[in-house]
Amino acid sequence: MVFLDAFKSTGESTAGIEHIDGLYGYALVLTRNRTDAEDLVQETYVRAIRAMGRLRDDRNVKGWLFTILRNVWLNELRGRRNAPETLDVEAGEMTVSLVDNNMKSPHDTYVGHLERHHVREAIQRLPEEAREVILLREWEELSYQEIATVLDCPVGTVMSRLARARAKLRELLCSLFQNSYPCGEGTEATE
Amino acid sequence: MSACDNCRSMIPLFLDDELRGSEAEHFREHIASCADCRELLAEEQALSQLLRRTRPLYQASEVLRARVSDILSSEVNADLRAPERLRRRVLRILTPGLRSVTQPAFHWKQLVAVGLATVLAFLFLPPVTQRVRANAFVVAAAETHRSYLEGNLPMELHTATPADVTAWFAGKVPFHFRLPDSQQHVNGQQIYRLVGSRLVNFRGTYAALTTYEMQEQKISLLVVSDRSAGAEGGEEVQSGRLTFHNHTVGNFKVITWSTHGLTYALVSSLPGSARQSCLVCHQNMADHLRFSHDQ
Repeated sequence: MVFLDAFKSTGESTAGIEHIDGLYGYALVLTRNRTDAEDLVQETYVRAIRAMGRLRDDRNVKGWLFTILRNVWLNELRGRRNAPETLDVEAGEMTVSLVDNNMKSPHDTYVGHLERHHVREAIQRLPEEAREVILLREWEELSYQEIATVLDCPVGTVMSRLARARAKLRELLCSLFQNSYPCGEGTEATE
Repeated sequence: MSACDNCRSMIPLFLDDELRGSEAEHFREHIASCADCRELLAEEQALSQLLRRTRPLYQASEVLRARVSDILSSEVNADLRAPERLRRRVLRILTPGLRSVTQPAFHWKQLVAVGLATVLAFLFLPPVTQRVRANAFVVAAAETHRSYLEGNLPMELHTATPADVTAWFAGKVPFHFRLPDSQQHVNGQQIYRLVGSRLVNFRGTYAALTTYEMQEQKISLLVVSDRSAGAEGGEEVQSGRLTFHNHTVGNFKVITWSTHGLTYALVSSLPGSARQSCLVCHQNMADHLRFSHDQ
């Protein structure tokens, strides 16, 4: 009951949604579509509420929510395999509002905007396996064990996927940033 | 494996705070004494810092935030409400029992009443999924309209004839959709114009989008099977057997209703009340009186 207890204890309508940006980012990485990502996040919260009775007190709520989101998405994909192809309302649209609240000067704002733009572009060019593992680590700061639980794979697999993802991401960012980003050799990806 | 190879394989673990105890100590010692490994560590740190500077990479929209808040708050309220009501009922039943210790605290009729009240409380709790789908449909209709206004949703069928629309959707959408052949003219003057139609996606299935123009305003009508979404929430306007739900999403007015197995969403930026918006198209139809004055 950790999830709802946390919500009740604050008495505020904003509590309980502290992970929404992270979940939305993960949903975008999986679906690559804003409408699907929003539906996925919404469905995740609905499932979480239904399942909160089964959430142990010692379980990491954040990791639990990400696991639910991924399972909902995998179920959705299984359903779609038998469904007819559908047109997308927002085909090709990947623009979401930028968050520049922490930026101070116009130059910082511009640099921040450019960095985020390049990083998003590089992330979207990664294979799905790499996209999700790097997002869970670098942006959501889940531990290797927590990532392994979300992805339902051994910790060793998380480590090797992460190494490959970083190597590929570095390559993509070097090409996007051209000479303005330090492009060293980096550590080698290991199996 | 050389000391440098070993150190380099541990750089990600070190940055991810996964190195512990003696391994972490050996790593630090090697880094302090090896310029090449230090350089590699700095490069990896630079990548990591760059990625972390972009947090949050994406931000959920206000609409999504509001939808999730609704889900959470309604569920919490439901979770709190039922037991509280039940407690009050039990208290009322218990109070006479406390006054007279000679009488049993619970009579079988009272127990049945409490049981029945509990079952009814659960039965009448609003189904969350149904409400979520209805909200999602309202938001999807507004988003679709926005995309259409921005020129991102060109019509696949261009026609001014409702019968063409009906024929075009036949077999394309997983429901039977017939666009009424209503008059678009009043006293010889055209009040609105059918523009065309196209298919769009709603929760993994096809939805029918039809667009109109009126007084330089663009109006869109999104239709799905009521199995995909129902009409709920918003300001309710009753008209005959139909209930219209008037929502505001950003600058758009979204009116939803369900009838004959379909759910409709009419989206526009037209001024006036929901009833007046309905009257725009219905003013020359047999049912126009339903919309012409407030109840």
